[in-house]
Amino acid sequence: MYWLMANLRQAGIIVRNEVFVLPSRIAVLVFVVALLALPIFTQDPYVLRIIILTSVFALLAASWDFLSGFTGQMNFGHALFFGVAAYTAAKLNLDLSIPPWGSIPLGAVGGVLAGLVVGIPCLRLRGAYLALTTLAFPIILMGVVFALPDFTGGELGISGLSRLSGSRVGDYYITGGCMLVFCFLMWKITDSKTGIILHAIREDEVACRSAGINTTRYKLMAFCISGFFAGISGGLYAHIMRLAGPSTLEVNTSFLVIIWSVFGGMVSIYGPVAGVFILFPMLEFLRFIPQARMLVFAFLVLLTLLYMPEGLIPWIRDKIEKVCPRCKARNLGTRSNCRVCNAVLD
Amino acid sequence: MAAPFLEVEGLTKDFGGLRAINEVTFSMGRDEILGLIGPNGAGKTTMVRLITGILRPSKGKVHFKGHDITGMKTWDVVNKGIACTFQNMRPFRRLPIIANVMVSCLSPRAMKRGEWVKRVEAKAMDALEFAGISDMALEKASTLSQGDLKRLEVARAVATEPELLLLDEPFGGLSPAETDLMAKSISRLHKGGRFGRLHSEGPAMIIIEHKLQQLMKIVDRILVLNFGTVIAHGTPEEVVSNQEVIEAYLGEGGA
Repeated sequence: MYWLMANLRQAGIIVRNEVFVLPSRIAVLVFVVALLALPIFTQDPYVLRIIILTSVFALLAASWDFLSGFTGQMNFGHALFFGVAAYTAAKLNLDLSIPPWGSIPLGAVGGVLAGLVVGIPCLRLRGAYLALTTLAFPIILMGVVFALPDFTGGELGISGLSRLSGSRVGDYYITGGCMLVFCFLMWKITDSKTGIILHAIREDEVACRSAGINTTRYKLMAFCISGFFAGISGGLYAHIMRLAGPSTLEVNTSFLVIIWSVFGGMVSIYGPVAGVFILFPMLEFLRFIPQARMLVFAFLVLLTLLYMPEGLIPWIRDKIEKVCPRCKARNLGTRSNCRVCNAVLD
Repeated sequence: MAAPFLEVEGLTKDFGGLRAINEVTFSMGRDEILGLIGPNGAGKTTMVRLITGILRPSKGKVHFKGHDITGMKTWDVVNKGIACTFQNMRPFRRLPIIANVMVSCLSPRAMKRGEWVKRVEAKAMDALEFAGISDMALEKASTLSQGDLKRLEVARAVATEPELLLLDEPFGGLSPAETDLMAKSISRLHKGGRFGRLHSEGPAMIIIEHKLQQLMKIVDRILVLNFGTVIAHGTPEEVVSNQEVIEAYLGEGGA
């Protein structure tokens, strides 16, 4: 009991000193608490389903940001990892009767293999050439899906997968929890020494090689990690929809991921998550004007990119926080002295 | 007889129909500083890129400490102990300056050599200290001036603790005072020793430079390239009085 109290007290001190000092950190805490507490206030199946799908796509968008934002490997065919994992999970679940807790991770392994299949031939490509080549892979796979209808279910896909859990609330907590945990993991990787190398590869690959870094290994690793997390979201999606169809491989899926990420703010992990949590429910909300739905969506994205080229979240963050000129620590925008080194803030 | 420290044998590089490097052969010892000079377009930078594996030679061999390193991947060459700087600086612009150097500290060679240094940041800080820009460690690299970028390049190369350092125009774009400071840093590095947690092997160096007056003070020998071919080779005094070198720089009438 004493041990528990001491730890709780320690956690409280950390939260007070590390979280309650910056609005962005408070926002993240509020988001996590709200996400976890939502089913207490409403169990409306429609609302829960929207948030479940939003969580799945948030994980997908964050995995794209990890590869394209952090490592600079511009991937226009991210739906490949999503689709491969969805189909793998579906086949394993239906043909081998593997339950979701087994089929989803194994589907993610399919995503890793897809990452290798794309990553190896694309190692020598950069920029627009890389983007266009990666775009081709899901299109090729979709051709294969249609060419082998007995194996892939063709246009209708593979349906009848087992449920993720017994209840909608269970599905909600599994997807929400997976999204939070895996996004945190991705953020930790990007914040580590490996993350510095991934940043450096994005900035200048030749200079990075000249620093003695095996960029091939790190680029492939980025493709695999991104493929794994995108694969987790693909597997979750297949079990939530109880279907793995060609729509998972569509070009539209790949581009939506990019739009969400760019809207929220690339190279941050939390930016794409916020982008999905704003844009995906908004599209649902706009369903009462079906004709103008996409127009409003496009207009909003255009406006954001015009006035906030770095994305929405970094823009808001820069408005409410300022960086200390001496120690580079972030501070609340209204402070006149740095909270770390006490230097005068501009 | 022991193999030369670095031996370049009949190195040739063709870009389509253009021969940038033509059958260049030379060798250097462990404790030497070799100057590589020549008019613009002579092939000096191409030569450095061939040695470091950024470019693959069309013909010829490069041996380092008796091992054939021809056509090796750049990171393997660096991890064997050869580091280089770039004429047109290539910092990781959006990263803090310390992170720029930490990338070098995270290379397998640097990690092996600094086993007793637990914190990569400390080692990177020492490299910055050596280069004289440690006070700006937390600034983004995009905010650095030309002179400071040159120092950052040197810090990044030094952080891998190389045995052979290839410096491409280290004095380029620097003021006379900065040039003097850089020349002193290079001489200090060549002498070897310990700079904080960094250990300098006292690397051999190949220095490409147009500021000949400064270069002459620090090099042991000079190799002169023109149109990809070696036209002179010798001590600074021999090279400056060489008729062919004077003609290459000033034209036939200039001599």
